[in-house]
Amino acid sequence: MLKLVKVEFQKLKRKKFILLVTLSAFMFPLPLSYLMTTPSMMEQYSDKADAFDGLFNMVLGYGIQFLLPCIIGVVAAMLFFIERDNDTFKNIKTIPLSSTQVVTAKIIVLFIIGVVFCIASTIATVLVGMFMLDVYGLGYKIFLAVETGIFITAGTLPLIVIVVFFSRTYIFSVLLCIFYSVLNMSATALFDALPKTILWLLPTPLTTFWSAGDMKRHGINMNLEQMNGLIPSTFQVILILGIMAVISILLIDYLYKKRGE
Amino acid sequence: MSEYIIQTNNLTKQYGEQKSVSAMNLHVKKGRIYGLLGRNGAGKTTTMKMLLGLTKPTSGSIKIFGKSMETNSKDILPHIGSLIESPGFYPNLTGTENLRIFAELRGINKSKCVRDALEVVGLPYRDKKLFAEYSLGMKQRLAIALAVMHNPNLLILDEPINGLDPIGISEMRSFIRELCDVHGKTILISSHILSEIELLADDIWIIDNGILLEEESMKELAKKNSRYVNFMVSDSQRAAEILRTEFECDDFQICDKNRLQLYNTTIPRAEITYVFVKQGLEITEVYLCEETLEDYFKRVTGGEGIA
Repeated sequence: MLKLVKVEFQKLKRKKFILLVTLSAFMFPLPLSYLMTTPSMMEQYSDKADAFDGLFNMVLGYGIQFLLPCIIGVVAAMLFFIERDNDTFKNIKTIPLSSTQVVTAKIIVLFIIGVVFCIASTIATVLVGMFMLDVYGLGYKIFLAVETGIFITAGTLPLIVIVVFFSRTYIFSVLLCIFYSVLNMSATALFDALPKTILWLLPTPLTTFWSAGDMKRHGINMNLEQMNGLIPSTFQVILILGIMAVISILLIDYLYKKRGE
Repeated sequence: MSEYIIQTNNLTKQYGEQKSVSAMNLHVKKGRIYGLLGRNGAGKTTTMKMLLGLTKPTSGSIKIFGKSMETNSKDILPHIGSLIESPGFYPNLTGTENLRIFAELRGINKSKCVRDALEVVGLPYRDKKLFAEYSLGMKQRLAIALAVMHNPNLLILDEPINGLDPIGISEMRSFIRELCDVHGKTILISSHILSEIELLADDIWIIDNGILLEEESMKELAKKNSRYVNFMVSDSQRAAEILRTEFECDDFQICDKNRLQLYNTTIPRAEITYVFVKQGLEITEVYLCEETLEDYFKRVTGGEGIA
């Protein structure tokens, strides 16, 4: 399987979007860091360490939870369309490799990209934040970023089912991803109006509530009064997203197999 | 083990109401080149795809290397090299990078196999040119390199000389012939260019509308193909009389007032000509005609040529 994963990365060589993904890890940390240094923002925090937590929270909220589903969706479209667009599936099938092996490798690549993006975003936050704020708790923050990367990628897999099902153009996939991200962000913003079931079935609100609760447990100053009853445990998040991911992977495998015939 | 490398039994592929391949029984012996002939849509590619497990037969069975393809494809496929339809590669990678990907997936020695395969087809190793920038001929060569890279025992090549220039075609012919004669590979090849198949194949199959019309060795075919002497004379009726009376021969056909075809080619032409002239006939042309593969193809399929 390692070989297959390595090959999936090789297939993305010279794809400009991958460079964009790397650069986009800096997209939110840079302006948000500047925003944190403005007096109106600084007065909301007790000290520079508290402000760094605030910056990390915002990067997690906007940079990761909004941008990552889009990135995962587009990379998935690239990976899942690459064999169809270049007529290489026949070469793979005659090796022989099964659709399930290929699909599994592609999904592992998505998880790796999700995690790497989250770590890169956190490191970018630290690099930019260290000039203006007090950086601390790096180990926990990177660990939280890794967890968030895995959760968001798992939660984006239902979108990949739709991308593979329609098997259309990249533009269609990008639009679908943006719609999914906006839908998730809107649901997060409307947490006091929407039923808990809907909020927990959408990956961004679910991970946002979980990460907020997790940060609070790790001593980060968070105001969670309004989210009472909405914060899931780590087990609940793993269970919900795990079920979602397993069903999605089975459907992607089924659809990919059908497309390959 | 069976004497055949490939053996199919009533192999059929049906798309809706349309039978693409109908009850095909193929027999492929080791170390020979088989030429697959048929018009577009005759069922050549579908047959090859079924042999490679790329499409499932509607009914019938396939045995390759004596094993059932249905249950042993994982053991069989690593010993087959193939090129089906157009070459399929990643456009953002170079030829070498593309081959390395497939070498990695096949678990073979990447550098050596890739270099050797590229050398065989005349493409440079570690060239910086991307596959997207390749000419059609280069793409085809790369596809052949991919097919032979893992040293397979059986090669299934669908139109491998498509897009190659005349020198490339000649090189490819020698290369395929060498694979068979020197390395003992069994090769299944389809082509639109009948003259190429004629020069290359040991056996031919003629497929039309999904039906296998002929499965014949080229040697047998040469025996079966009609040869005749064409006479252009002043009076073909008179010529016919002379053949009957002087040579006791009825194996001819009067085509028109001046043309006669003699199918018995054992009688010396000089002798016949001498007698015709002696009997007062004027002769303008005498030549031996042999049926080409294309003529044979037309005759068997009952229609036009292949192109």
